[in-house]
Amino acid sequence: MSTASALAADALGPSAFTRPENGIRRVYRTEVRKLSSQVVVRVVALLCLVVPFIFAALLKVQSGAPTDTLYGVWVHSSGFAVSLVVLASGAAWGVPLIAGTVAGDMFSSEDRYGTWKLVLTRSCTRSNVFVGKLLAAATFVIALELLMAFASMAAGVLLVGAQSLVDLNGTLFSPAHSALLVFISWLTLIPPTLAFTAIAVLLSIATRNGILGVIAPFALALAMQLLLLVGTGIWSHLLLVGAAVFTWHGLFDAHPYLGPLLVGIAVSVIWTVVCIDVSWALLRRRDFAGTPVSRRRGWGTPVRVVVAITASIALIAIAGNWGPAGVTAKRLRSDLTPAFNHLTVLQQTELGRHVPKGAKLTLALPTCSRRGSVPYGPGEWICYFYVQTPSTGALPSEPTNIGYDVSVNWDGCYKAQSPPAFIGQQTMRNKQGKSVVNPLYTIYGCFNPL
Amino acid sequence: MAALRASGIVKRFETVCALDGVDLALQTGQVRGLLGPNGAGKTTLLRVFFGLVRPDAGTVELLDRRLEWPEAEALEGTAGFVENPSFYPYLSGRVNLELMAELDGRTATAKIDDALARVGLAGRGDDRVNGYSTGMKQRLGIAASLLREPRLLLLDEPSAGLDPAGVRDMSALLRQLANDGVTILLSSHQIVEVEEICDSFTILRRGHVVWDGTAEQLREQAPASAYHMQTSDDARTLELAEHQRGVRAAPSRRGGLALAVDLGALDPWVLALGSAGVAVRRLELLVSPVESMFFALTGDSERPPNEPSELAELDRRALAGI
Repeated sequence: MSTASALAADALGPSAFTRPENGIRRVYRTEVRKLSSQVVVRVVALLCLVVPFIFAALLKVQSGAPTDTLYGVWVHSSGFAVSLVVLASGAAWGVPLIAGTVAGDMFSSEDRYGTWKLVLTRSCTRSNVFVGKLLAAATFVIALELLMAFASMAAGVLLVGAQSLVDLNGTLFSPAHSALLVFISWLTLIPPTLAFTAIAVLLSIATRNGILGVIAPFALALAMQLLLLVGTGIWSHLLLVGAAVFTWHGLFDAHPYLGPLLVGIAVSVIWTVVCIDVSWALLRRRDFAGTPVSRRRGWGTPVRVVVAITASIALIAIAGNWGPAGVTAKRLRSDLTPAFNHLTVLQQTELGRHVPKGAKLTLALPTCSRRGSVPYGPGEWICYFYVQTPSTGALPSEPTNIGYDVSVNWDGCYKAQSPPAFIGQQTMRNKQGKSVVNPLYTIYGCFNPL
Repeated sequence: MAALRASGIVKRFETVCALDGVDLALQTGQVRGLLGPNGAGKTTLLRVFFGLVRPDAGTVELLDRRLEWPEAEALEGTAGFVENPSFYPYLSGRVNLELMAELDGRTATAKIDDALARVGLAGRGDDRVNGYSTGMKQRLGIAASLLREPRLLLLDEPSAGLDPAGVRDMSALLRQLANDGVTILLSSHQIVEVEEICDSFTILRRGHVVWDGTAEQLREQAPASAYHMQTSDDARTLELAEHQRGVRAAPSRRGGLALAVDLGALDPWVLALGSAGVAVRRLELLVSPVESMFFALTGDSERPPNEPSELAELDRRALAGI
């Protein structure tokens, strides 16, 4: 029987039959009250609420845009893009920060304050305490995340507006559809957030060190972000829970693909279950024998935990090429070509030119090649479009060569930029004379790497 | 009916054997003193009873329910604390008690007020615990225990950190609880204080129970009590002591005499001095029967902490030849 099964059996077993739910509920309520009283949790909640508004306000007063981030170029055009940029740039760091702050000290603080003996001598079992604390931590991290989601959406809509959002193939979503997709994207963060919470809980229990419990998930997320830059294999990347915070990208494709999202959820669940299992095993067998015995533990356990995590990361790094390459020239070409087409139509429409329904550019021989030793995998690519421009006057039509520098991530998301000679500057005047984003200046796209 | 029954408790921490086959039975309504020098295993035994430490062998029944580790459901009806009671420092004493009451499944605002008043913290309940003194935390620990309306109270050094008035109040509170029928197991170094409250004792040494019985049995079996005595004629007193059954005397360095007096020999000895024309000007109990038993059983490794060291050394030397 796994530890998780044993935990469930403990919670529902004969010894707890009298008041199993009550015990968990009581612990849950006390933990919620304790967390609500903690200054650091209140500060994080305040940051989740205020930072999106500050971010949106800063964007409002300056002309530049965070073009390196997915949807960054659209932050002046749609408030939903503001929320997505907060999500895209904040998820990698915000999620582990929230998880570490809420859960990283939840168990170790009982050691620091010497309150285990207080809690465990009340009318609740050890499994009640464990489950109640986990549920309280999960409640808080999800609540903080949703707070950030609503704050970023509200900030975007209030300060920029609820305009339509351009999808990753260059077509427009309606405002309602955009709002729904943005909200769903935030919801997809919940599984990895819970996984990072479980990691924080494990560190808190294993090391009994609050600082390590709070900081280590953040450091682990940083290590994972670096590992995502290593290797070309898709599986080794998808197994990192840090990758699961980006799997919402597929929702914004004209033909949404859910493979990476589902894998990310599964991976998050696995990380969560494993960390909770190990945490419970450690807590269940622990003797709360007082300071002298605790002191004898020294740094042995923290060192073992760090070594284990480091070894796991090293193993994943070594296995960085495991699995097929998710990024190939064919996939990139087949995604970039329609995106370019759609965005050109969008650009022409913005400029007030008549574009017949179904019209598209005549593209000839689009090619994509990777700058590097191997012709596949994430990295820097260059793609050429040969556009058959219409004949003007006596000049015959001739193919025009447009080169795009494309930065492709491991998950198939890319940013393509071209010199402005053909596609124009970052902003342009629309038919009303208003400055708008030139859709072709920066092309964001994603394709399914699976 | 046994409120607490422990059988064959063994607990090892790495190479240290903290408890080595401890048996203990506590009848309902008893007030038991758990005595022993540092490292004897008192606190570890209490931790076992609270379910905080899992023994390597042995069984524990609290209020007729077997304690299962790590689940502590059998603790229902049991309260107390081990070592210094600790609380969440960023919360007030009252909120800490509310959290404890919540964990117990009680909504007890009135009881919290009552508990705070009973331990003398009525005016400080809304202060944050990080501003509390050690003694105040000790009082709050008692208050947290009282919230559970315990039938079995397990306390580890409840008077530690309390001022003299606090010690007196604590003793009175424990006596009141005992009168109310609460079974109490009291671990303490304050032997004199424990002696006043407890009706039975268990003495631990190096993880073993070396003595277990009622206060009467202990007094009967105790070796001589130790006194410091000042008389009108110490030389004459020494002569008389040589012929008095159950009394041995030696000069004390601080003046006067150090005495070792067997149980029941004190009254005849004082009367004998009076008959011989020797006035007793001062008679101070240095080591009570319980203490002397404690020292005898634990190798005299511990002395009462309130005893001046010079006197302790002097009288230890004076009594050494007895």
